[in-house]
Amino acid sequence: MSFIDFFTFSDPNIRYVTLGCLLLAGSAAVVGCFTFLRKRALVGDAVAHSVLPGVCLAFLVSGQKNPVILLIGAFITGWLSLLVIDWITRHTKIKEDTAIGSVLSVFFGIGILLLTAIQRNGNAAQSGLDNFLFGKAASLVEADVITFSVVSLLLLVTISLFYKEFTLLCFDENFARTIGLPVRRLEWILTSLTVLAVVTGIQAVGVVLMAAMLITPAAAARFWTDKLNIMLLLAAAFGCLAALTGAYLSYLAPSMPTGPWMVMVISLIAVGSFLLAPKKGIIARMQRQRIIQHRMRDENILKALFQLGEKNQSYFQERTEESVLLHRKMNPKELRQGLFRLKNDGYTERKGNQWALTREGKERGQRVTRLHRLWELYLSQVLHIAPDHVHEDAESMEHVLTPELEARLREQLDNPQFDPHQSEIPK
Amino acid sequence: MIIHTQNPVIEVHDLTASYDRRPVLWNVDLTLPEGSLIGIIGPNGAGKSTLLKAIMGLIPVNSGYVHLFGKTIDEVRSKVSYVPQRESVDWDFPASALDVVLMGRYGKLGLFRRVRPSDREVALSCLQKVGMEAFANRQISQLSGGQQQRVFLARALAQDAQLYCLDEPFAGVDIATENTIMEILRTMRKEGKTVLVVHHDLQSAAEYFDWVILLNVRLVACGPVEQVLTPELLQETYGGKLTILAKAGELLQKEQYPVREKKK
Repeated sequence: MSFIDFFTFSDPNIRYVTLGCLLLAGSAAVVGCFTFLRKRALVGDAVAHSVLPGVCLAFLVSGQKNPVILLIGAFITGWLSLLVIDWITRHTKIKEDTAIGSVLSVFFGIGILLLTAIQRNGNAAQSGLDNFLFGKAASLVEADVITFSVVSLLLLVTISLFYKEFTLLCFDENFARTIGLPVRRLEWILTSLTVLAVVTGIQAVGVVLMAAMLITPAAAARFWTDKLNIMLLLAAAFGCLAALTGAYLSYLAPSMPTGPWMVMVISLIAVGSFLLAPKKGIIARMQRQRIIQHRMRDENILKALFQLGEKNQSYFQERTEESVLLHRKMNPKELRQGLFRLKNDGYTERKGNQWALTREGKERGQRVTRLHRLWELYLSQVLHIAPDHVHEDAESMEHVLTPELEARLREQLDNPQFDPHQSEIPK
Repeated sequence: MIIHTQNPVIEVHDLTASYDRRPVLWNVDLTLPEGSLIGIIGPNGAGKSTLLKAIMGLIPVNSGYVHLFGKTIDEVRSKVSYVPQRESVDWDFPASALDVVLMGRYGKLGLFRRVRPSDREVALSCLQKVGMEAFANRQISQLSGGQQQRVFLARALAQDAQLYCLDEPFAGVDIATENTIMEILRTMRKEGKTVLVVHHDLQSAAEYFDWVILLNVRLVACGPVEQVLTPELLQETYGGKLTILAKAGELLQKEQYPVREKKK
């Protein structure tokens, strides 16, 4: 089965399975967004593990692998686990995380027990129940695909019907109650959707890993946008991408379980979002920090050059790097880098081995010096901080203060002439 | 000093409420007049927010009842608006200021119905009233504390109610926001609306409110501001005279006794 064969979807069976996987991953991601925003991610995990005994029991009782019957079994134990968690947190001193942890493992343990018993009976191979742990998309038959797709569509329709109610429920439950929304019923519906979303994935993704397909797309999407509707679309798209890859690999290597592959892909997407997303991503944040660092360093250099000029009233004189270092301690390499950066920006000029301020450079150095001294004066005069304690603070504030705040400082200090150390505050 | 009114907008009758079996409101009985600005005042842990939540029907009570406009809360929800404490929600939620204000229209819209352009107009004009129209599309986590509080107030305005219950609207906001909010509350009173505010600053209370509830687990006083904010009553509210009551409450919790005996 080659790449082209798969992605032209010429085989009707491939068409079915792929469509089914896309639908279930997309709808699980959309439902997962609300689970995520309601901060119930762990609950999704608990449900995912707790559907296993239900699936096994349904198989044992009915003796056949009818997807609808299995789905009902899964739904029942999934819900039961939530009720048990709720009961434990309400009536004992045990906290919710402990309750989730123990219920999850007990239900899953029973599930594994039943699964082993079924396998011992020798009909697990025909049943395909062994795929329920880690999933096998290629093993979906037409009846499975139809059932799971119908459930997935049902999930999407329900979410779109209750979109505004679920949003409010996740953001401000108390307010929702005061405007008369049936909060308990809405909660019940949202929880049922979560359980169903997990159940649709039991065969293609596997019970264990379905929780990841529920929550990870939402977590990844949150990095890219601050709009809920876009977040839902992105999460669905991420989920579908993972599902498509998983389904393809399931055909390519039929012995390979699908679930882990889907989870690998969605995790890569999440890690990528975490690193690369604009504004919220780690790299963007580091970049911003770097820009600020450079800016502060550059302004410190301009300030030093200006203050050297102040000493002999010769602001545009050429100076060596050593003389700057004598005035202000800094890393010589960083000083050189900064001077070249400032030259590129038109604040300094290089003449031989020496450096001089340009007119713009002098202006900016003067401004930083001015802000530094104004802030020192403000701290000592208005806030009554000892004059020998104000320097450090002014060192950082001189880079932050805006022209608007400067004007207000000037006004409050009545256009002062000298700072607390009797240095003149430049115009 | 508990002064009752005729035709009260709120009637709290013998209300007792508790957290984990410890009563935080003890036999509270009060009536509040329509069209006034009312402050709920008392020390930390006095049950101020709990009283507001009990009035809004958000917490179960051990005994007693609350009537609003002479009816139960469920019959008059559309006439009552609640502004929770700012810290009670996660402001990192993916929503803009306008989205939050639009939530104030959900009650009028009802289930399944989409937000209409007219709702959007109302929401925008409410943002304008609180001076936040420039921030309509700003993500809510990027707003300052004072701006977030204004957004909450705008959401309440969008509900177009008769009675407004605000929980600590001045907590952690700048002075400019406090003045803006106060101005809006006064305008609302002028329009005949009743405004109930949980407040912790005694200094401004006398200036802000025309009716005051002094609370410290039990009701100390309730009446017109000039009769209630007296040194004796304040001493009774803030002074340490309630130790026996506090001890009794702790006992109920420690021994896990029921706050009210079950009726046969």
